[in-house]
Amino acid sequence: MPASGGVGRAGTAGAALAARGERWSPSPGTIVAALEGLLLVVFALLPLALQHFWVIFVTRVLILALLALSFDLVWGFAGIMSFGQALFFGAAGYTVALFARDAGVTSVFVVLPAALAVGLVLAFLVASFLLLGRNPPSITFVALGTLTGSYAGDRLARGWYYLGGQNGIPSIPPMTAGPVQLTEGVTYYYLALASLIAAYAACRFLVGSQLGLALAGIRINEARMAFFGYGVQSLKAIVFSVAGAIAGLSGGLYAFHEGFVWPNMLGVILSTQIVLYALFGGVGTLIGAVIGVIAIEIVSFVLADVYPTVWPIILGVLLLVVILFRPSGLISLLVPRRARVGIFGVGARRPGRIPEEAGDGAA
Amino acid sequence: MSDKSELRDGAMMTRRRFLGSAAWTGGAIATGAGSWAIRPAWGAAAGPIKVGIATDLTGAIGYAGNANANIARLAMKEINGKGGILGRPIELYVEDTASNESTAVANVRKLIQRDKVDVVFGGITSSMRNAIKDVIVTRGRTLYVYPQLYEGKECTPYIFCTGPTPAQQCDEFIPWLMKNGGKRFALPSANYVWPHVLNQYARKVIEGNGGEVIFEEYYPLDQVEYSATVNKIMTNKVDVVFNTVIPPGVGPFFKQLYEAGFTKRGGRLACVYYDENTLNINAPHEIEGLASCLDYFRAVTKDEPGSARIQAEYDKQFPGNIVFAAGSAATGMYRGLRLWEAAVKEARSVDREAVAKALDHARIGEGPGGPAEMVPGKRHCKMRMYTAVAKQGTYEIVARSKGLVDPKEC
Repeated sequence: MPASGGVGRAGTAGAALAARGERWSPSPGTIVAALEGLLLVVFALLPLALQHFWVIFVTRVLILALLALSFDLVWGFAGIMSFGQALFFGAAGYTVALFARDAGVTSVFVVLPAALAVGLVLAFLVASFLLLGRNPPSITFVALGTLTGSYAGDRLARGWYYLGGQNGIPSIPPMTAGPVQLTEGVTYYYLALASLIAAYAACRFLVGSQLGLALAGIRINEARMAFFGYGVQSLKAIVFSVAGAIAGLSGGLYAFHEGFVWPNMLGVILSTQIVLYALFGGVGTLIGAVIGVIAIEIVSFVLADVYPTVWPIILGVLLLVVILFRPSGLISLLVPRRARVGIFGVGARRPGRIPEEAGDGAA
Repeated sequence: MSDKSELRDGAMMTRRRFLGSAAWTGGAIATGAGSWAIRPAWGAAAGPIKVGIATDLTGAIGYAGNANANIARLAMKEINGKGGILGRPIELYVEDTASNESTAVANVRKLIQRDKVDVVFGGITSSMRNAIKDVIVTRGRTLYVYPQLYEGKECTPYIFCTGPTPAQQCDEFIPWLMKNGGKRFALPSANYVWPHVLNQYARKVIEGNGGEVIFEEYYPLDQVEYSATVNKIMTNKVDVVFNTVIPPGVGPFFKQLYEAGFTKRGGRLACVYYDENTLNINAPHEIEGLASCLDYFRAVTKDEPGSARIQAEYDKQFPGNIVFAAGSAATGMYRGLRLWEAAVKEARSVDREAVAKALDHARIGEGPGGPAEMVPGKRHCKMRMYTAVAKQGTYEIVARSKGLVDPKEC
């Protein structure tokens, strides 16, 4: 459980400080861990309090949170500006839709690993093209490269009749686990939640590991890390592929939950939306991305109800305001910037002062 | 909240005013869950019948979606004004599908799972129908009426289509084009499902009548440069351009075709989705003589009293630039609502099975363009079809079907 681990470590660090007679203030890690714990408890108990409709609504939020998480991993921790996370999401969605339509395979034990694998392999291919070249790519090159990938995927799906063209693939049957149908509602909710927790724990582990430390180094000064002898591009490719796998998992869950896939799932609009989720919530903390999804989805739900003809404009203005005045996102109201680096390695102590980064978050 | 934000007869209620009043009564926002419901002016013991409208109020085709919402409101007023259905008034629940399929699924779920509507009308594009139909019909176990002209082949049980199909748009239109244009056809098209399927049918009719398809080409949806196509049309002496290129490309395409002198040398432009909305894309002289075939044109009101009444009522209640036109599904929406009303009356219940059984053979005597009836077992609608030609910025009816045209689907 990522949350409890974080609390334990930060807690002992705090206690140790207190024992030395210093004034104790909650470390950024403590706040992040507390948020994680809080959300975990809330999400675990939510279906008990909600009606069927709201359970389905929150399921969708959980699945999108998985997608935002994958973006936060590459941008917030490795400094790779991926404007194409939707490509992995959509490709995995289409793959599982084809599994269900043409092969009749809907078993959760096949489709979710397949979605994961599609995301992983596709992200690795994109990474090997964009990141593993002879010269280190600029951030613009990577951003535009991933954006192009997403756009190309969208156009391909629109023009390819096997994939249903513009209309996509409708009427995907429910996912199954043996004889049990995992229909939308509480069952699917817990499937999505379990996937999110597993992916989140994996991300938390990854960013707290030595690899995470190296990534933080790359994000802050890539040239210096290369000079130290790190295989900078390979490390980036690894984390990009892992994020692709998470986006793929999200796409597989999404396709079965919504019951259809269509070209926009691969496209630029969704890719941009993912970036907005993460920036709105705050990048570089993992939990910020989840908070961003929750906030945007709830706000757009309420706005669409109350102002049905102008709600997208209001939402756009709101996003603009938050990103202008809170470039580090909603989470920055609670957690200072240095929480972004986190705690590295086994038994690491409380992090010291980290120099402020330039251009933080406000991409 | 319901008694204060209701729609009173005769009160011209714009959306903004409706929202304003709803907000001031403090209900809509405070409760949070207040959907954009348009409530009837009176109640019944059994409660109102809930009708879900899912349409594109915002986004690229917002103009069409708003016309759908308007006409649904008009039909609701008419139905409630005559005492409702089975003694119960109907209540509209309008949700935005936002021209975006993922938003649409989330919003349509509100209709099904939260508001628990008895029937859903809506969706404009085929991709939208595909996105929301499962949520409504399979997972939601609710009846679904799709109002737009489309490529056909939607044969899912419990989905009823009330817009024209390729057969209805081609069977009488293409022979007319041959008589009033020529036998050499070109089929320039946007590359998506509707043009492919429509062209397949059109080609069959063209060749069956002794015509010839010179070329059938598909262009990306956002292509705006058509000089190569125009050149091909001019050098191959094409008589009829049967167009399925859509906005934004269609404007430049027609302009380039006009400038090349296609219409001047007697060529005929044909486009079956062209209605009063799309007429404004080009300057009138550029599309002079363009022929279209739809279930309704404004020009029909001259000698069709039923249509004239609906059109006059619409113009009175919704003056402004959201027009009532066939290409935006608004006619199918009205027709669908009245057919469904007839079915519920016959079934004496709002139960899905019972209504579907009655809707299977429902008919109405009056609607946009005239009477309409469902073809038993086919879940598609027979209706009158009109061929119209653009003359100085308006349509003139040049041919009309003798009776109701068969959709030939399912």
